[in-house]
Amino acid sequence: MKSPRFLLLAFAVSLVVGCGPSEKAGGANDGGEKLTIGVAFETLQTEYWVAGFAAIRKEIEDRGYRMLEAVADNDANRQLEQVRSFITRKVDGIILVPKDAQTCLPMIKAANAAGIPIVLFNRPADKSDARSVAVVADNFALTKETVAYMVEQARATGRKHKAMILIGDLGDINAVGRRDGFDAAITGNEDVVEVVARVPTEWSQEKAQAGVVNALQANPDIDFIFTSSDFLLPSIVSALKSVGKYKKSGEDGHVLLGGFDGDATAYSMLKDGYLDATGVQDVYFEAAQAVQAIVDLRVGKDVPGLIQDPGFVIHRDNLTEKAPQMWGAQVSGK
Amino acid sequence: MSEPSVTAAVATERGRTGSGLRRLALSEYLVLWLSVIYAIALAPFAPGFASTGNFANILISLLPLFLVALGQTVVLITGGIDLSVTSIIALTSVIGANVMSSAGGWLAGSPLAAPVAVVAMLALGAVVGGLNGVAVTWLKMPAFIVTLTGMMFFSGLAIWFTQSKNIGGLPEAFVVLGGNPWAAAAIAAATGGFAHVMLTRSLFGRWLFAVGHNAKAAHVSGVPVRGVTIAAYVVSGVCAALASILYTGQAETGSPVLGQRVLLDVIGATILGGTSLFGGKGKVLWTLCGVLFLKLVDNSLNLLNLSIFTITMVKGGVILVAALLDVARRRWAGGGA
Repeated sequence: MKSPRFLLLAFAVSLVVGCGPSEKAGGANDGGEKLTIGVAFETLQTEYWVAGFAAIRKEIEDRGYRMLEAVADNDANRQLEQVRSFITRKVDGIILVPKDAQTCLPMIKAANAAGIPIVLFNRPADKSDARSVAVVADNFALTKETVAYMVEQARATGRKHKAMILIGDLGDINAVGRRDGFDAAITGNEDVVEVVARVPTEWSQEKAQAGVVNALQANPDIDFIFTSSDFLLPSIVSALKSVGKYKKSGEDGHVLLGGFDGDATAYSMLKDGYLDATGVQDVYFEAAQAVQAIVDLRVGKDVPGLIQDPGFVIHRDNLTEKAPQMWGAQVSGK
Repeated sequence: MSEPSVTAAVATERGRTGSGLRRLALSEYLVLWLSVIYAIALAPFAPGFASTGNFANILISLLPLFLVALGQTVVLITGGIDLSVTSIIALTSVIGANVMSSAGGWLAGSPLAAPVAVVAMLALGAVVGGLNGVAVTWLKMPAFIVTLTGMMFFSGLAIWFTQSKNIGGLPEAFVVLGGNPWAAAAIAAATGGFAHVMLTRSLFGRWLFAVGHNAKAAHVSGVPVRGVTIAAYVVSGVCAALASILYTGQAETGSPVLGQRVLLDVIGATILGGTSLFGGKGKVLWTLCGVLFLKLVDNSLNLLNLSIFTITMVKGGVILVAALLDVARRRWAGGGA
């Protein structure tokens, strides 16, 4: 067998021989022709991210552009490698869903250094000198509005409620915004709602389920639950069923239930009367804004650092009116 | 030619082909061959694959994985396994970041912040590795269980310590260790070189192999089996801490979930290189080749714009084939069927 030195040399030569200009996006220019956009998602593990990924793909393809995709499987270092890979391929823009607000900073700096516009989809970065645009829902306001609706419902029953909140990964600024929105809606309404359990989930279905079961054991009279993401609803449903408290609105023992995202599970639970309200992120608006921001940045237009998706609260009273705008309803209809 | 001689010729030809394949499969540098063939075959199809920028990208992402796989190699040589490496990466990342972060770190603003953090990370890696080693040797617990529960405990500790928050504001003197390719390459090369000399030229290296081949025989021959095994886990812990320095520097953030997803890559790359799961066999260069091949596969599949699901399936398949090959090589090397 040949020596390893020979093989390493052959390997190096194969790379050097292959070294040509990096792939240039096919015909990309600023005149509205075909751009190549790299889309790097942290994960595709929830319905929201799958819907967001599909919405961005559709937006890019509808404009006649080309999409390169990468999913980092919850690994920030892998995502950095993927973003560098996009830069090597000289993409015209990058849309990034980072794992969190801090680990994306080297990615943004790398894109800045290469002169490639970068847009953060649904999760903004921490403040720094790295330049990016973020398209995000107003997590605080939307959660506050959703929980305020739930508090109204609680007040209408004429009795005091005991509440539980499922908190997301606090490294994710969206989770912090939702937690703060929840707290803001409860503040001043302590006569109606008393928070007795705060379940940290780190965005994990298993941790959520264990946390909800434990909280219901410690406080069997919990009758007001808010989850920071609808993707955790199955964990809540399972835990409520196990203690015989999964009841429709209007039925005796109904637990007031609210969420955030507006996924297909939330839509079906709203329709069936188990869910009272959820804050809906307009995924189609966010996808369109993210791609448009790349196009605008490439031609030197001024784009604000933060593009906010106002979203909306959907509940039983406005379900028929708002369902056509709810991405979860669209996905479940397919 | 009569019928029996035709059969004999075919059998001889088959025998030649079979022995060629067997020689290739038994070659020390099979994975390096595969890497070269893979790179040449993929270059025309994966856009941007054969470019200097992409090569640099592969190199940067390969270095921390190589470091953590180096430690795994040492433990595997002794016949053990260290599943706690990912939790060591996370724990050392948040402790180091907490020492030096400008946002409320214990030594925030001090010029000693970065060096003290590095020393603290390495020491913590050594301590966790030592604890693993003590549990395996003195308590006679299976390495798999010790390091699996260690992984759960230390991951939980990292998350509890930070309350699931990342720690930013790391000093430039530290960030450069992972973020600057030359600095990262120097750390990896020095560690790899040291490990190579340790395994091939030192008494300790011979003891590691002796323990992996047959611990009882090694003990009878005067090898301090317990001490050697503990030292192997300490080496693994220190290597994981070194990898953490690079990963943390690259991400510019101390994270309690850093490296959470690399365990399969670490063990896969080590086994791919040729280090045996059964102990007594392993080389630094093999591990480098295994890491290189795995990173080439990962990188090229990304460039081919395949989905994460396909990439995961292909990587899983590649590692499974490597494990099967490990079993087959042992059988062939032993002259079995």
